[in-house]
Amino acid sequence: MTTHTLELKNLTKKIKGKTIVDDLSFSVREGEIFGLLGPNGAGKTTTIRMIVGLISITDGDVLINGDNIRGNFEKAMERVGAIVENPQLYDYMTGYKNLMQYARIMPDVTKERIDEVIELVDLKYAIHDKVKTYSLGMRQRLGVAQALLHKPNVLILDEPTNGLDPQGIYDLRNYLRLLANNGTSVIVSSHMLAEMQMMCDRVAIIQNGKLVRIDEILNQEDEADVKVHFQIEGDVSQAKQLLIKMNEELNVTESGQELIVQTSDVRSIAELNKQLVLAGVLVVGIQRKTKTLEERFLEMTKKGGDLNEVAIPVNE
Amino acid sequence: MKWLSLLTNEWIKIFSRMRTWIFLAIPIVIIIGIAVYDKATTDVEVNENWKQELTQTVKDDQKALDEAKKNNDNEIYIDMLESNIKQNEYAIANDISPYETTAWQFMKDMAWISIFIGLFVIVVASDIVSNEFAKGTIKMLLIRPYSRWKILLSKFVATLGFAFLMWLVVILVTWLVGGLAYGFGGMDQSYLITAEDGQVKERLIVEYVFANIGVEFIELTALVAMSFMISTLFMSNSVAIGVALFTMFAGNTIVALLATKDWVIYTLFANMDLSVLIDGQNQMVKDLTLPFSISVLAVYTVIMLAITFTVFQKRDVKA
Repeated sequence: MTTHTLELKNLTKKIKGKTIVDDLSFSVREGEIFGLLGPNGAGKTTTIRMIVGLISITDGDVLINGDNIRGNFEKAMERVGAIVENPQLYDYMTGYKNLMQYARIMPDVTKERIDEVIELVDLKYAIHDKVKTYSLGMRQRLGVAQALLHKPNVLILDEPTNGLDPQGIYDLRNYLRLLANNGTSVIVSSHMLAEMQMMCDRVAIIQNGKLVRIDEILNQEDEADVKVHFQIEGDVSQAKQLLIKMNEELNVTESGQELIVQTSDVRSIAELNKQLVLAGVLVVGIQRKTKTLEERFLEMTKKGGDLNEVAIPVNE
Repeated sequence: MKWLSLLTNEWIKIFSRMRTWIFLAIPIVIIIGIAVYDKATTDVEVNENWKQELTQTVKDDQKALDEAKKNNDNEIYIDMLESNIKQNEYAIANDISPYETTAWQFMKDMAWISIFIGLFVIVVASDIVSNEFAKGTIKMLLIRPYSRWKILLSKFVATLGFAFLMWLVVILVTWLVGGLAYGFGGMDQSYLITAEDGQVKERLIVEYVFANIGVEFIELTALVAMSFMISTLFMSNSVAIGVALFTMFAGNTIVALLATKDWVIYTLFANMDLSVLIDGQNQMVKDLTLPFSISVLAVYTVIMLAITFTVFQKRDVKA
């Protein structure tokens, strides 16, 4: 049985009559990395703020490890670690003293655990320096450290790669994977598609506060989305007619020297190939293509018109 | 769960800042400075011949009084001269030297140093919540497994603790410096007041000093509650500090202007200076008594805290 560590039920936020988050429901499984993807202003941060109790919930519920944050906030937050937007730290204290602030008030954080986390985020060399001397990347790492101190089983990171260099992003990704493998549910938000694709197991696409869809990243053989490209040497239209004659329901389109057929059945691919070859058409290549997350995201969130016209900041 | 750890955290935050130590150092430096200056400049001869000196003062005051009466001068001025003359005559007759300084006399004379404490407490209290909003650190605090009121309470108690600690340190330093400079005796030393019926009376200095220590705790509590409320209402720390300081000064000025109105006794600021009510000397608003003022402060404190906690509990944190 799958255990859900975080459940959102019909979560809604209205501010001054404007609906920011609209009836949002999803569940995050134990040990998965779950992404919230959406353009800026889609309601990702508002959703995260509601989950961790920074802003009030207009309607709906948030359950963390089975505890409702509206009724039992203290219990629900015990095993949550989070960074909401940038990690803000006490500049006038050292990194270590900052960590001590949180170590003191969270359950069961030993001195060994603090040292372990410092080692993990690679801040040992500067941990006794004042935070005001830290670079953005160092602050980010200290932020990650404070979120991990009490070994949370729900880790929520809002735009976690902000300010990290490529090496830092790579390390973070690996570390989050390690945490997930040990049973931690990780929730990350971002508007950066490629990053989400690399990092997450599942991604919820959010637009205008609504859930558009949830995608599995590793297992994305969604039937409707698999297309087979037959690369043809010779007359493409003739080959197309041939296939349509064979099966009228088949969805075939021409594209240059390629015929694109929408199917996911492996047998029918072989059958189609056989028919083409028997009819004397030269098939020089067959390729199965699934839509990338990026294509889907843009498709889902586009405001009509050509893909290139979509006003979504993809890689800021 | 571990509410005391929240309090420890707030305490550490207060003392991790340089300004806290400066705030503690300033009154101490002033106290020592004044004692040293006084020691260096006091004319011992005057102290020994104080009766002669005082007789001369009475003569001068009498002259000034005749002059003032002839010119129909300000009534308060005339009252003051009359009271001075009576007190000095009483001092000569009963052998009570106003120039004899002891640790207790020094503490009474230095009571005004509490103005500094009030000032610094306003800064710390109005900063303690608003600064976390301004810097965004409040987010890291509110996502912990503690109800909001517990977090706010830890901040209030920490500020109050800081205010009380500062006052205790200043009292202790004043007593120590006063004792080293003038001797630790003088528990039975008296000072003179003019009662409402115009009679001159003797009172123990040590009684005044202890009463003053006590009422300052009450004043500080009300002051912390006020600044703390401003700190929670304004999410920028510089605005909060500015508003709190302005409120304090404007409040005192307005009370001075409206001192004759009946309802002024129900305002917060008319009741903020309890020390003048201890012996009723130099009292600006006439109808006030100590129990009345303490009750008014208590009511204001409760109301201000209620507003603070309600607003904080409901606020959407977007910092």
